[in-house]
Amino acid sequence: MSEEKLLEIRNLQVQFNTDRGPITAVKGVDLDVYKGKTLGIVGESGSGKSVTALSIMRLIPDPPGKIINGYIKFKGKNLLDMSLGDMRTIRGNKIAMIFQEPMTSLNPVFTVGNQIIEVLDLHQSHLSKEEKKNKAINMLDLVGIPAPEKRIKEYPHQLSGGMRQRVMIAMALACEPDILIADEPTTALDVTIQAQILELMNKLKEKLGMGIIFITHDLGVVAEMCDDVAVMYCGRIVEASDVSTVFKHPFHPYTKGLMESIPSFDSTEDETKARLKTIEGMVPSLFDLPKGCSFQDRCPEAIDECRGKKGPPLLEEQAPGHQAACFNPLK
Amino acid sequence: MSEVLLEVKNLHKRFPIRGGILGREVAAVNAVNNVSFKINRGETLGLVGESGCGKTTLGRSILRLIEPTSGQVIFNGKDITAMNSDEMRVMRRKMQIIFQDPYASLNPRMTIGGILSEPLDIHKLFRGKEERRKRLYELLDQVQLPKDTLNKYPHEFSGGQRQRICIARALAVQPEFIVCDEPVSALDVSVQAQVVNLLMDLQKDLGLTYLFIAHDLKVVEYISTKVAVMYLGNVVETAAAAELYGNSKHPYTKALFSAIPIPDPARKSERILLEGDIPSPMNPPSGCHFHPRCWKCTEECKVEYPGITSLSGTHDFKCYNPIEKGQ
Repeated sequence: MSEEKLLEIRNLQVQFNTDRGPITAVKGVDLDVYKGKTLGIVGESGSGKSVTALSIMRLIPDPPGKIINGYIKFKGKNLLDMSLGDMRTIRGNKIAMIFQEPMTSLNPVFTVGNQIIEVLDLHQSHLSKEEKKNKAINMLDLVGIPAPEKRIKEYPHQLSGGMRQRVMIAMALACEPDILIADEPTTALDVTIQAQILELMNKLKEKLGMGIIFITHDLGVVAEMCDDVAVMYCGRIVEASDVSTVFKHPFHPYTKGLMESIPSFDSTEDETKARLKTIEGMVPSLFDLPKGCSFQDRCPEAIDECRGKKGPPLLEEQAPGHQAACFNPLK
Repeated sequence: MSEVLLEVKNLHKRFPIRGGILGREVAAVNAVNNVSFKINRGETLGLVGESGCGKTTLGRSILRLIEPTSGQVIFNGKDITAMNSDEMRVMRRKMQIIFQDPYASLNPRMTIGGILSEPLDIHKLFRGKEERRKRLYELLDQVQLPKDTLNKYPHEFSGGQRQRICIARALAVQPEFIVCDEPVSALDVSVQAQVVNLLMDLQKDLGLTYLFIAHDLKVVEYISTKVAVMYLGNVVETAAAAELYGNSKHPYTKALFSAIPIPDPARKSERILLEGDIPSPMNPPSGCHFHPRCWKCTEECKVEYPGITSLSGTHDFKCYNPIEKGQ
């Protein structure tokens, strides 16, 4: 395919030093982000999805965190080799990020307009004061905030949760980035507001043609938003492909388990409700992961090989364009 | 006909807002507005709505953890709003609550054994040493936790396990009715399913009655016998779970259902996108509170709050322009 690859991550490994010794939160992650496409990263808490995102922005706090291996190439250049000064020209400018909790990500003592203009001050300093202000108004208009001329003079506490997330998106998009990283952008919002924000992000993706990395734990959101998906478990990608392939035919028992543990409306038609299928047990602690596959203790399909000395399964092509890391993939 | 365990009649909770140097009342929030419903023994009423709609206030007013402004809560034939604090304490044995955040609702300095014993001490139940120990083991068994849990502290457990401990604490005094206030919202999906299954098993085994509060319609629909939808302090629609999904009458219910992302990429649902935000409950819109966001709004809606329309006695809604089936 002739799609333009914006970001290439290979064998990314991130380690954190803790009181109880080092833990590897991300253990060799490969990802590609294409122009105009949305890549979804799904996983439960502690799966390493946010750490992966923060690594791309080089925002891992060091110490205690450290990227110990791998590379992150943005348009051919390795971000991990860049000086902090060079990184600053990329962060917020070429690659922007929005976070889960819009209230804690906005500064409460500055007006919304000020905070958007700050981004422009850093990355587009050639613009005049008037131009910057107009651009801030245009950005608020773009993300669907009514009466933007008035709103830029308001403070975050005067806005609702959905409005704040729109402001965050406006800030992130102010410099027309190539890549937008969205870390659970709708998790803190109500469903009707979530629907509005998702719709907005899809519209903006088409309009601006950026690549999006969408981090979430909600498979429903993935199905509606993403082109490709990577499922993470305990620091590794366990399954990756385009969205419809993964949903139609998951190879990894974890992916299947995740899909089945969501109640669906269709199954409630009959009188007796079937029990929800669950994944047994819980996510193991990163301090004491089992040998072999990290999912073995919860896996209904586990065989001896999974517990063996061979180490964790590698991400391999199970069908064209569809990878899974499993010794005993589902048929 | 099964027996009614809990009946809420015209419950109202008003929070005054005071301002100025004299502390005069300048405004008020009607967090719960004239809400009535019944829950049959052994059944689950699901309560859904977005943040700020009053669902938590309603749950707590029923237990009188927040004192309702007016209205009645009739539990087992007795009006508990008229009880004094001694009578109420006895009553609370029958009515328990599970909170949303299992990290905040367990005392970090108490062992699990201490946490589970506390309600038993208060209500003077299972007082013998041996008897007490047996009861605690039984509780752990009911929520599927190992016996050595008793000597551990809350920080040693994951979110899902803590929520099991909270459930065990609620069960300790053998209640008949439990308010579950967003019990699975803070949990991961795979763990969420385990806790939902556990709650349903316990209901079957112990004959419990739940008021299940959540914003996740999928979970509510799954666990509930009947579902009530709230918007800005008012219950706008009540119906059996499957009926509510298949035959939503209130436009807000319809919009809520259609806003849920469906985990199936092939299915492109026709989404009803609601305009705007939830209005401030301090200053709700005139007439039907939903009218500024409603696509079926007429002049009538702006003037007066619609009354209850009842379909076959089990499906109630408050709307002038309900959605026709198949629309």
